[in-house]
Amino acid sequence: MELVLDTVRKTFGGVVAVDDVSAVMPQDKITALIGPNGAGKTTLFNAITGFDPPDRGSISFGDRRIDGLPPWRVAELGLIRTFQTPVGFTTLTVRESMLTAATPHFAETPAGALGLSRRARDHERTAEARAEEITAELDMADLLDVRTDELSAGDRKLLEFARSLMAEPKMLLLDEPAAAVAPANIGRLSQLVRRLCDERGLGSLIIDHNLSFLMQIADEVHVLDRGALLASGPPAEIAANPDVMRVYLGEDKESDGSPPEAASDTVEGAG
Amino acid sequence: MTNPIFWVGVLTLAMIYSSLAMALNVESGWGGMWDLGIAGLLAAGSYCYVILTSDADLDMRFAPELSMWVAWPLAALFTGLVAFAIGAPALRLRREYFLITTLAFAEIIRQLVVIQADLTRGTLGVPNINRPFDSFVTGRDYNYVLLGIAVAAAAVMYLVTRQVGVSPFGRTLRAARDNEAVALALGKRVNRMRIKTFILAGVLIGATAPVYLFYIRAVSPQLFAPGITFTVWTALVIGGIGSIRGGLAGAVVLIVFTEAVGLIEVDPAHINILVAIEPFLVGLLLVLVLRFRPDGLFSERSAFGAGNRPSRDSAGDSRPAGATQGSGG
Repeated sequence: MELVLDTVRKTFGGVVAVDDVSAVMPQDKITALIGPNGAGKTTLFNAITGFDPPDRGSISFGDRRIDGLPPWRVAELGLIRTFQTPVGFTTLTVRESMLTAATPHFAETPAGALGLSRRARDHERTAEARAEEITAELDMADLLDVRTDELSAGDRKLLEFARSLMAEPKMLLLDEPAAAVAPANIGRLSQLVRRLCDERGLGSLIIDHNLSFLMQIADEVHVLDRGALLASGPPAEIAANPDVMRVYLGEDKESDGSPPEAASDTVEGAG
Repeated sequence: MTNPIFWVGVLTLAMIYSSLAMALNVESGWGGMWDLGIAGLLAAGSYCYVILTSDADLDMRFAPELSMWVAWPLAALFTGLVAFAIGAPALRLRREYFLITTLAFAEIIRQLVVIQADLTRGTLGVPNINRPFDSFVTGRDYNYVLLGIAVAAAAVMYLVTRQVGVSPFGRTLRAARDNEAVALALGKRVNRMRIKTFILAGVLIGATAPVYLFYIRAVSPQLFAPGITFTVWTALVIGGIGSIRGGLAGAVVLIVFTEAVGLIEVDPAHINILVAIEPFLVGLLLVLVLRFRPDGLFSERSAFGAGNRPSRDSAGDSRPAGATQGSGG
């Protein structure tokens, strides 16, 4: 199964935000989407997840067309996204947020609420156990009864991730998971993402600015520049691509070919 | 200081407003839909009940003279239907646009009641509403029966709304209220859930309408002016919007306070001054409550297990050097 973009285009007024992007993202691999600010990464994310449908082109996941579907339907098919700014369900506790992600539709009606069925109760109990398991795995079990708006920015980021896992995704779409994360912890974060994806046979599509982070975990990297796909390939190849260098630097100044951020961050980030 | 019958009446009214405030809390407190159309829904339920039960000799075009026990649930269902008709277009809007639209719909309903005079008797109103058990208990003693009915209605409302609040459904409602985008991204059918909640609130308000009529005894369109909506809202805000017990407590405090102001003994020459400052005193009560208990008498926080507020520092510091601690990056 894979996520396939075929000549996806999205314009806002006269501005072409995503310019005929075609790409294939395998469901069991970690794919990175990089590019400078305004390259169209988040727009592409919104197009895939139904928040802002594309003007043209097709998006499919497995054998289903998903472009034009409402966001909740895309999520139901197993594509679960996170958000750049991890606000979350502000007044819900970590536990409640986790359980909400796992609540089935049949329990989410007034009738379901009033005559809470055995099935719903069993579901709730299983979900509770899973929430405890996942939070323990992410080292945040002590935060289960803390309200989301009282978490630190880093913990909210972690919750964003934990909550997505509760929704039983087939593929995760992570929008800047490393933003607002201390450089010293990037290494741990990438190990965590890698491990959780591998254990669950999960793929993910990750947007980030932090190249060292992406280069560590991605199987494949796509580079966007001004809405168009500039290059695709394994991280090492991308890091050596002079076009990518030019995009990140403005012009081709360095000769060793590795993006500057990646070069400077890899050493400390890997720790 | 006054006879007990007076206070029985006050408590009855308080229980009716409690019921309405608890119903409002489901859609507005948990659902985040700021509905200013309570009066309209109450009018729909009331007139449905009145028309179905009225005596044929009142010359209303449609008077099936149903038993009140049949008409009561029908009034609730009909109000749910009206809520659906209002909610379907209005829920396409958000926040203040939704709020003003529901207010407009409530006025439309009131005007319809006035215009459809051959069905509703228009501004003439309908006197002598049929009341349960009034052939067994008569006179002043009936007030105690009425209080019993209102208390029972409020108790049922409390149990129903609490069950909604603590259920996974209520949790998802609060989640979607806090962050619609995240709820959608987790596969929640936010719009469908909201319209169902709006209908549920309509049914609950419609079910309360007959109790209100038993208390008022006669119905006319001016009963359903927007003032009643604002009283219900004030009660909910005082009690604690989003909490479970807030609507109940807030309405009791507000109604008892309002009625007690009317009991202040003043020189007859100054009685109009007292009447004039009554809204001012109610406003003062609201300000004082919000000043000292911003979340209301009962808060949403205390209702849903978020426990005592941990200080931000301890929430941050107690963490081991987690994977994504800090905000340095």
